[in-house]
Amino acid sequence: MSRQPTPAAPTLQVEGLSVAVRGGPALLRAVSLTVQPGEVRALVGESGAGKSMIGKAVLGVLPRGIEQTAGSIRLQDTALETLRSAARRQTVAAVASLIPQDPLTALNPSRRIGGQITDRLVRRLGWGAGDAQRRALELLDRVSIRDPERVMAAYPHELSGGMRQRVLIAAAFAPRPSLIVADEPTTALDVTVQKQILTLIRELQAETGTAVLFVTHDMGVVAKISQTVTVLFDGKVMEEAPTAQLLARPSHPYTRALIAATPRYTHPHEPLRPVPDELVARLHQEVAQDDAGFR
Amino acid sequence: MTEPLFQISDLSLALPDMARKPLLGRAPRIEILKQVSFELAQGAITGIVGESGSGKTTLGRVLVRLLAPTAGRVMFKGRDIGQLDEAALKPLRRDLQMIFQDPLSSLNPRHTVGRIVATPLERYGVDKARRRAQEALERVGLPGAFAKRYPHELSGGQRQRVGIARAVALEPAFILADEVVSGLDVSSQARVLALLKELAADMNLTIAFISHDLSVIRSLCDAVVVLDRGAIVEAGPCGQVFDAPQSLVTRQLIDAIPLPEIDDSWFDKAAVAGGAC
Repeated sequence: MSRQPTPAAPTLQVEGLSVAVRGGPALLRAVSLTVQPGEVRALVGESGAGKSMIGKAVLGVLPRGIEQTAGSIRLQDTALETLRSAARRQTVAAVASLIPQDPLTALNPSRRIGGQITDRLVRRLGWGAGDAQRRALELLDRVSIRDPERVMAAYPHELSGGMRQRVLIAAAFAPRPSLIVADEPTTALDVTVQKQILTLIRELQAETGTAVLFVTHDMGVVAKISQTVTVLFDGKVMEEAPTAQLLARPSHPYTRALIAATPRYTHPHEPLRPVPDELVARLHQEVAQDDAGFR
Repeated sequence: MTEPLFQISDLSLALPDMARKPLLGRAPRIEILKQVSFELAQGAITGIVGESGSGKTTLGRVLVRLLAPTAGRVMFKGRDIGQLDEAALKPLRRDLQMIFQDPLSSLNPRHTVGRIVATPLERYGVDKARRRAQEALERVGLPGAFAKRYPHELSGGQRQRVGIARAVALEPAFILADEVVSGLDVSSQARVLALLKELAADMNLTIAFISHDLSVIRSLCDAVVVLDRGAIVEAGPCGQVFDAPQSLVTRQLIDAIPLPEIDDSWFDKAAVAGGAC
């Protein structure tokens, strides 16, 4: 189905993806994007723009009542929509991992950390228990957890927020995935811990060549972690560009407005400008016209 | 130079550490604030910044006297309110208002926006509470029919503006704003920050603005207090503290800001310390 073959086979290729509430409004409107091996692509936009929904669609975890209505998702040359649900889950589990936003709710409070890292390796991917255990220890050590054995035996509440996020990064990288969906992984953290976590993700990603789809609303985080950016508004792609170019010369008015609304530490006296209501109204109108055009 | 609205001196606060309480007997006490001294100038917005666990929120709660200090003085309008009991605090409560981090959980979901803003006015026996509430809502940019809506019908930024309307309707001397924009999009955030700035100037409001985001503090505040493990490591006008930070903690906080510009050396400056528990 891929109309534009790229030199290297992309890790993730999303084409014309539309997602909607069953019998209700559209949440994603013909979204196309690719993530090459080793690339970090940021997805930015305001809440409700559909950033997280793209990750959920890729991982096959759309909330109940929300379904893919058009388009294709290719993960490492496998067209996911051609697979039955069990095979699709198996394929996704083998290839893709999630780093979630809230490290507390993502961990089962009543289970020890170790099992929560090794479960997927053993049960889904058929690793031996010993191998899984060794891999978990190796990764915990890699994410700078000082006493990996003790942390494996600990419960989530015994760890700080930053530690829990390290555990989830270890769990995400443990099966050697080709793609990681990082869904606002630092939004709940302090700036200093955020910097540590971003550094870790960047280092591990560079070591392993894993492709990353990085959901964030923070233009600063975009600048630091990503090579490419996709800007979303109301489920539609507004602009896509290499990160340096997008920050230096944003071509879409919405991107320019998002940047102008971001407080800049180095320019404290520049007034913050919210995204203008007229622009929001115009974009909503354009989206509505597009929707009508599709019918 | 007018007298500062708050003068805090040698404020300490210790609370029982329930995590280490023995089965029988008292819990050991843990010091959360240690001999904190600073002033909040009348009509100024002062940022309170620090990592989580540094005591920002606890300090804020002492200012609005939801907590009483273990030692030290909390001079408000020239009077030590640190150890006043609830009855003595009652007449001061109207002057000490608060805006919360999560506007959804701090607004009663079963009440209309108009009622939410009017209720405190009625409690304080203000005349024409409904009309005053309507005016406060207009003031924060939620005119007309918004008063009839319920919190779930509003966006996050609009809800936060309801929280602001509820606080300013009482015409307080002081507002504590605890992480009020951290849950918002940049666009709503810009709107709320502009509104706070405007209200502070128009109403001569004194605001303590707790945040972990130095970019936000720098663009909004006149002065800043940097906390680390319950103690003040640095305080002063924003220009002074941010242009020439004296303490390591402040410099680390500044270095950790991801600026929206390409800078490959940013990560190299990271001191990836081992994960402390």
